[in-house]
Amino acid sequence: MAEATNPKAINPQEIMDFLKPRVGARFKTWLDICAHCALCADTCHFYLASGKDPNMIPPRKVRFLKEILKKKGKVDKAYLDQVYHTIYHECNMCRRCTMYCPFGIDIALMISLLRAMLTSQGIIPEGLRRAIENYKATGNQMAVTKEEWVDTIQWCEEEASAELVGLKIPIDKKGAKLLYTVNAREPKFYPQDIMEVAKIFYVAGEDWTLPSESGWDDTNLAMFAGDVKTAKTIVENTFKRAEELEVKQVAITE
Amino acid sequence: MSMYNFVAGPLLWLSFAVFVIGLVVRIVTFLKVSREKDKIIYQHFNWRYVLLTFARWLMPINPTVAKTPAYFLLVYVFHFCLLVVPVFLQGHIILWEESRFGWTWPALPHLLADLMTLVFITVAALFLLRRVLSRDLRLLSDFSDYALLVVAGLPFVTGYWVTHGTLDAVLSRYTMQIIHTLSGELMLVMIPLSKLSHFVLFFFSRGASAVEFGRRGYSM
Repeated sequence: MAEATNPKAINPQEIMDFLKPRVGARFKTWLDICAHCALCADTCHFYLASGKDPNMIPPRKVRFLKEILKKKGKVDKAYLDQVYHTIYHECNMCRRCTMYCPFGIDIALMISLLRAMLTSQGIIPEGLRRAIENYKATGNQMAVTKEEWVDTIQWCEEEASAELVGLKIPIDKKGAKLLYTVNAREPKFYPQDIMEVAKIFYVAGEDWTLPSESGWDDTNLAMFAGDVKTAKTIVENTFKRAEELEVKQVAITE
Repeated sequence: MSMYNFVAGPLLWLSFAVFVIGLVVRIVTFLKVSREKDKIIYQHFNWRYVLLTFARWLMPINPTVAKTPAYFLLVYVFHFCLLVVPVFLQGHIILWEESRFGWTWPALPHLLADLMTLVFITVAALFLLRRVLSRDLRLLSDFSDYALLVVAGLPFVTGYWVTHGTLDAVLSRYTMQIIHTLSGELMLVMIPLSKLSHFVLFFFSRGASAVEFGRRGYSM
């Protein structure tokens, strides 16, 4: 993953303005009551894979949130770089520790908040930043336009129907049973995946459709940067398509 | 007013007031702040997940017990003694009976109370030792993690000394009683003011996470 970009200076006021409305009752409680019992330590694959590095124990990774709140956001670049390294490279927000925590402390949610806070300060992996821009502009992470998308599907249909005569890839078919969604990498780099799926659906006699409008990309990289707003829009797009096309189910790949 | 009368009088009232009001403030704060900033709890609230998670973790039927049974057995014993001994100790019940309230309830047999006290002190000492000896725990621990174990242990140690006159040669029973009462009051006060607030916040923290995990199909 590319390193973080940080075009602007750190602004403590901004950090606090970002955190204050978001640090709710749960976050405060979790930071207050964690008994540091370390029962979560060996539920973390980063801890186990690092030869049990104590810095990989889940509560250790969210100490930054407590510290930043205590320091009222007055931290320097080196500090935020350390935070960045920990929350992006030493936790993938799998939530396994929460399942074993006697208090049910949701470490991943706090990591996500820290990621969102860093994003607000312009500190975000370059790949994620670009993907989020693409989502905002085109509704998918690969910036595939509607024309390109529809064109790709039609071309896929042509190719696949050469092998299986009569095969169709239904676009915007109202009342289909299944709304199928893909990873945006498929139309961009791996259209053969779409063809394979089309063949399976054809042979299985499945009643399915792809939407032409955005909502067909089922990846949600904005979530990984804690960008809740964009993450929500991405999901809403898919729901909108499902409602418009009156499908019964949405199929998500991966 | 004698020293003991002060410690067992106004100071005790004050401690109980801090204890009760402090916990109420903790609860009200959680409810108030969460209504505004943790809407997800209310949007997806379901007693089923909440009550199930309480049951699984108040009783030893959860994945962590299966993972670390020996340690968790000690955790349960520790909390059980901590809650039961002070409430059901004959000596304490007599004080309630003699107080303006005149309340009384069945007491633990002396021998059992003694045994539970000694078990509690031993487990607390083990926890403290574990915290000091483990590299991982030393890194995680802050001052309060050590101090609060001592705070929880002191009333038991001093209580045992009072009951058995262990230190009679050094300190008068009277002084010891004052020290014991003070240690109990310290414990009461620290419950709402420190991470011992998990006395009530345990339920809110677990409940909130259980709702969030439950709606995603995992009843924790």
